[in-house]
This record gives sequence, C-alpha cells and structure tokens, in this order.
Amino acid sequence: MKRSGHRANLYPYALLSPAMLATVCIVLIPMLYTVSLSFMNHVLWRPQDMGFVGLANYARALQDEVFAISFRNTITWVAGVIGLQLILGFATALLLNRDFWWRGLARSLILIPWVTPSVITALMWRWMYDGNSGVINDILVRLGVIERYIPWLALSETSLPAVMIALMWQGFPFFAVMILAGLQAIPTDLYEVADVDGANIFQKFFRITLPMITPILFTTILLRTIWVANSLDIIFIMTGGGPGYASYTLPLFAYIRAYQGLDFGYASTIAVYLTLLLVTIVAVYVVRVLRSEDAMR
Amino acid sequence: MKRILLAVLVIVIVAGFAVAGARPERAAPDVQTVRFWYHLDDPETSLNPLIQKFEAENPGIRIQAERVPWNAYHQRLLTSVAAGNPPDVAQIKLWWQPQLVEMGALAPLDDYIAQWNGRNDVYDRVWELTRHSDGRQYLMPLQMVILYMYYRVDMFNELGLEIPTTRDEFLRVAQALTRDTTGNGEIDVYGFGIRGARGGHDYWGSFVLSSGAEFFDAQGNVALDSREAIAANQWFIDLFREHRVSPPTTPNDGFQEVIANMLSGRTAMTIHHKGSARQMIDAWGDNISAFPVPAGLTGRWTSFGDEQNGVFAASDVQDAAFKWAAFLAEAENNQLWQESSGQVSINISNADRDFGDLTRFMNATTDSADFAGVLPAHPATAEFVESVWPAAMQRAFLGEITSEQMMRDLANHFR
Repeated sequence: MKRSGHRANLYPYALLSPAMLATVCIVLIPMLYTVSLSFMNHVLWRPQDMGFVGLANYARALQDEVFAISFRNTITWVAGVIGLQLILGFATALLLNRDFWWRGLARSLILIPWVTPSVITALMWRWMYDGNSGVINDILVRLGVIERYIPWLALSETSLPAVMIALMWQGFPFFAVMILAGLQAIPTDLYEVADVDGANIFQKFFRITLPMITPILFTTILLRTIWVANSLDIIFIMTGGGPGYASYTLPLFAYIRAYQGLDFGYASTIAVYLTLLLVTIVAVYVVRVLRSEDAMR
Repeated sequence: MKRILLAVLVIVIVAGFAVAGARPERAAPDVQTVRFWYHLDDPETSLNPLIQKFEAENPGIRIQAERVPWNAYHQRLLTSVAAGNPPDVAQIKLWWQPQLVEMGALAPLDDYIAQWNGRNDVYDRVWELTRHSDGRQYLMPLQMVILYMYYRVDMFNELGLEIPTTRDEFLRVAQALTRDTTGNGEIDVYGFGIRGARGGHDYWGSFVLSSGAEFFDAQGNVALDSREAIAANQWFIDLFREHRVSPPTTPNDGFQEVIANMLSGRTAMTIHHKGSARQMIDAWGDNISAFPVPAGLTGRWTSFGDEQNGVFAASDVQDAAFKWAAFLAEAENNQLWQESSGQVSINISNADRDFGDLTRFMNATTDSADFAGVLPAHPATAEFVESVWPAAMQRAFLGEITSEQMMRDLANHFR
C-alpha cells in the first residue's frame, strides 16, 4: 500500500519530466554556461588566452564608457517604448471597445504591425526615415513642420527616438489587444450604476475602468518590458547601434561584443548585467502580486 | 493504464533523443561530400553550372554549397570553427585570415599548390598579398576587386571639370559638384558619397592611408595616432563636417545608401568596385565612368578587395576540398564565377577578354592595381572593420570626438 502511494507521488513528476528536461537543456544549462563564461576570458580567436579571470569582466564593464552609454540607452529605450506603446495601445483599446459598424475589421487590422516580422518593420522604417528620399521627411516638409530633410538615423539626438517610434508602431497592438480583453471583462452594470449615481466620463474611467484593468495592465507592462529590453533586431537593422554608440543598448552591445568582437566572456558579462536589471523588475512584480494575493485572503 | 502511459512517454523521449542525435544521411561511401560556404551580392546568381561541371569532371565528389548572407558570414564562420563544425571550404576575406590561423582553423595549402598546374596563371601580386605573415599559403585565390572612383560624366562635362589626380583637386571638384540644381535654395546633389557605416574604411583608407597614416611603422609599432595620421584623418572628416561635400546622412550611410544615392543622382562621385558597374550602367549608361582614386600627400592607396577559398583543417575530405578550390581558380571556371560575382578574375589568361561596356571599369581596376593595398594581417583587423572603425568614424563625423581621439581609439584597438 505504501509502495503504490509512493508511486502515485512520483506519477506527476514523471509526467512533468519531459518539460522539465527540455527546460533544463534549453534554458538552465545555457544560462549557467553564460554565467560561467562571464567569469572567463573567452575570445574565440585567442584560444591560448582563454581562462578564468574572476570578476575582471564585471569590473571592466563598470569602467567601460560604451557600457555606461548602453545602460542609459536601455533605460531610455524601455521606458520610452513601453510608455508610448501603453498610451497608444490604451487609446486604441478604448476606441475598439466602442460600437461602430466596422469594429470587427478594425480589430483585425490593428494586428498588422504586431504580425509584421521585425526585419520587415526595420527595413520599412529605415527607408521611411531616409534622409535623402524618405517619405517621413517629404510629408513633414510639405506640411511645413520642418524646412529641410533631416537625417533622422544619422544624428545622435534623433536615432534612438526614431527607432523607438518604429518599435512603438510594431508593439502597440499587443497592449491594445490585452487592454481590450480587460475592458470587455468589466461588467456593464458597474457603468450603469455609475450613470445612476451621476458619474461623469472621467470619474467612470478613473474609478471603474482603470482599477478593473490594472492587473492586466501590470502583467502586460511586465511582459513587454522584458521583451523590449531584450530586443535588438530592429535597432541592429535600422542603425547598427549608431551613429557612434548613440543607439547602443545592453543586448545590442552584448551581441556586438559576442558576434563581431567574438569576445564571448565580456559579452556574457553584459548579458548577466542585463539579466540582473530585468530580475529586479520581475522581483518588484512578484512582490506586488504576492501582496495583492495576501490582501485578497 | 498508467504503466502503459509511462512506457509510451519513455519511448517518445528516447525516440526523440535518438532522432535528434542521429547523424544526417551520408552519401555513399565512395562519394565524398564537400561542404562549401559562399556569399554573392546578387541573389539571382547561381553556382549550379559550376557545380555541375565540377561534379561531372570529378564523379567521386559532391559539392554541397550553402549561400550564407554577407552580414552574418564572418560570425557564422567563426562560430562554426569554435563549435568544431566548420565547412570543408569557404570563401574568406583576407582580413579574417589572422584570426582563423590563430584558431588553427585553416589547413596550409603549400603542398597542394606546388602540385597544382594552374598556379602560374594566377597573378604574382595575388599570391603575394594572400600569403600569410608566417610565410604559408592558406588561401586559394578566387577573385579580386580593386576599388576606384565612380563619377558622373555628364556632370563633369556640364561644369567643365577635369578628372582629379590629387586630393586637393578632388576637393575642388567635389565642392563644384555639390550644388542646388533646382534653384530652391537646397543642395540636392553632393559631390562625393561617403560610406560612414560599416564597410566605409575603404573610403577612409583611400584618403587617410595615402596621406601619411599607417597602421604600423617600420619597427612594427602601432602608428595610427601619429601626427600625420591625425592630420590626414582631419582632412577626411572635414569633407563632411567642414566642406559638406557628402550628404547629411553620411554617418549612417552603408553600402545600400551609398549606391542608391549614386543611382538616384543624389551624389556625383563615390567609391566602389566593379561589382556595381552593371547597376551603374543600367542607371546612367554612358554618363557613368570611373577613375583611380586621387593621390594623397604621400602617394595613392586603394583597397584590394579580395576573396579567397580556405580549406579547413577540421575537414576530413581535404583533398576533395582543395580540388574544388583549385577548380574555381582555373581560368575558364574562374571567369564563370566572375560572371556571377561581377568581380575580376585572378587569372592572367583572362585579362585579354573583351569586357564590352565594362571595359572602362576594368581599366580603372587595372590602373589601380599597383597601389592597391590590404589591411594589416592582424587578429584585431576583423573587429576594426566590423565595429571599431564605424563607431569611431561616426562619432568623429558628428563632432562627438576629435580626429586625435578617433585615431587614438583606433590605435589602442591594435595595441
């Protein structure tokens, strides 16, 4: 009896084991390997110099001007892109939650940027921003907003914001869809009661809509923060990190160190720093969720 | 039931690993497969005729060619070596050679070449440039490109300009070509299209390395931050910042932008090689031509853009791999290759061919051969090209760093 009970206890683990094994193989082992590389001098083309260097790579990063620029840009990149996507996504969700005859079509069309591959998005925006014949310059000159064409991607002040706008365009549908789902889950009788009580549109928004979708908003922001912080494809294609280091972010810097400098040790250190940054954000989220669960008990 | 489920689960997992670990199907034992990596700019070109010809002549060898995108080529090659699974033969740039030799990735080919009948039909200069600093020959020549200046003949004629032979004349010509042709008060044609992004070191080299800058001095010390080098670099930076003879987009302009600007008439001169000649003729016909880059203060320098084939030390079919590399270096086959690549043959016997409307570009290439140079055979050169030079140049163009700071950064990279 005891034996069969023991077997029954093992049964869920047996069922879970394929997924656990896959996770260990494709997530945990590479992650641990990356951490171990961060303590090594591991330049691919200098096999004779490879070896353990302790915290030297970590100290090097803290004195590295490019690391400091990339760190600052990462914060700007994440805060800017998420902020823009949230505002645009929220506005879009509110519009799509209203009743109009082509709402179904609009809800489908809004997904186009999200399903467009990043490479296409990047190339499309790169040519739209082109300082010699780009359509954005053409429109702005015709509207009288600017006097002459601006090389958006070739100026250090405008290159990162320009790429941020491109990513905002690509990512806002995710916010829109998630927030829309949240809006549709709000019981309509809450608004009816508010109407009876004489609440105006702003009161309804801040007292009903916003509190009701806050959990979904929080989760969406967290997910997008992780994705946006890790994304480098659009930056790489649009500016390559340039001009100079103006649009370098931590993942891009790690990528360039790894695949152009072939310095996998230092690149791993940069990746570990980025992970620590993201783990901090996730920790804040987990603490918040635990507190709200405690509050509900 | 649970036991059956567990058994099925175990079988699925074991089968999964077995399939994942299985080696790909191999050819028959008497047929050797040579894995070949290459890149060609024009996606419409195909190597199939050459492969078919080779396989017909060598029935025991099968060529498995893989086209690797240029932007990822160097990275994939190095990581494949590090992973212990490189191709058998691959197209290789000269500036990658030091890294690959340092990694022990390339097989020396001296013994093979000594017995190869075609060796005397390859230019001596090509053998000389491609030999590694340890005196060994690791690379089989494949194609050569020498960079020269494209220019708009009609614009030169309209303004009565002569072909510049010195850098001062070049500046005056570029300034004259930079103008407002529509009368709206805005510059719409720029004299010289500079590539400020990755790959632009060739443009930089033509003006900086010809005016006193050198990577290493006679004693082998890094000399990129010498007074002459800083001054030469300042002259180059001023083309964009001071004289404004290149478009405002210059810091971020890569290959596509530079060529597009020339094709659209936005720029009147730019530097590239014969690979772009067909496109230029399609756009401008007889109104496009070429001349060797002008001389600097100490002479002329242009980039010897090269491609070789390397046989990898890890290959277990090295004999067959060399046969393929040698086949591509033979005159007739090499000419077929150049028809796909748009580049110049490395064979002496191909020099007298009729190049039709490409003759003027061939002339600019051969006229530049005597002063064409290569970047130093140093393990740090690859990273210099890939990321160090572009970042430093862009910052200097934008005024974020001075010429001196830029050259010091470049010098420190090699120290």
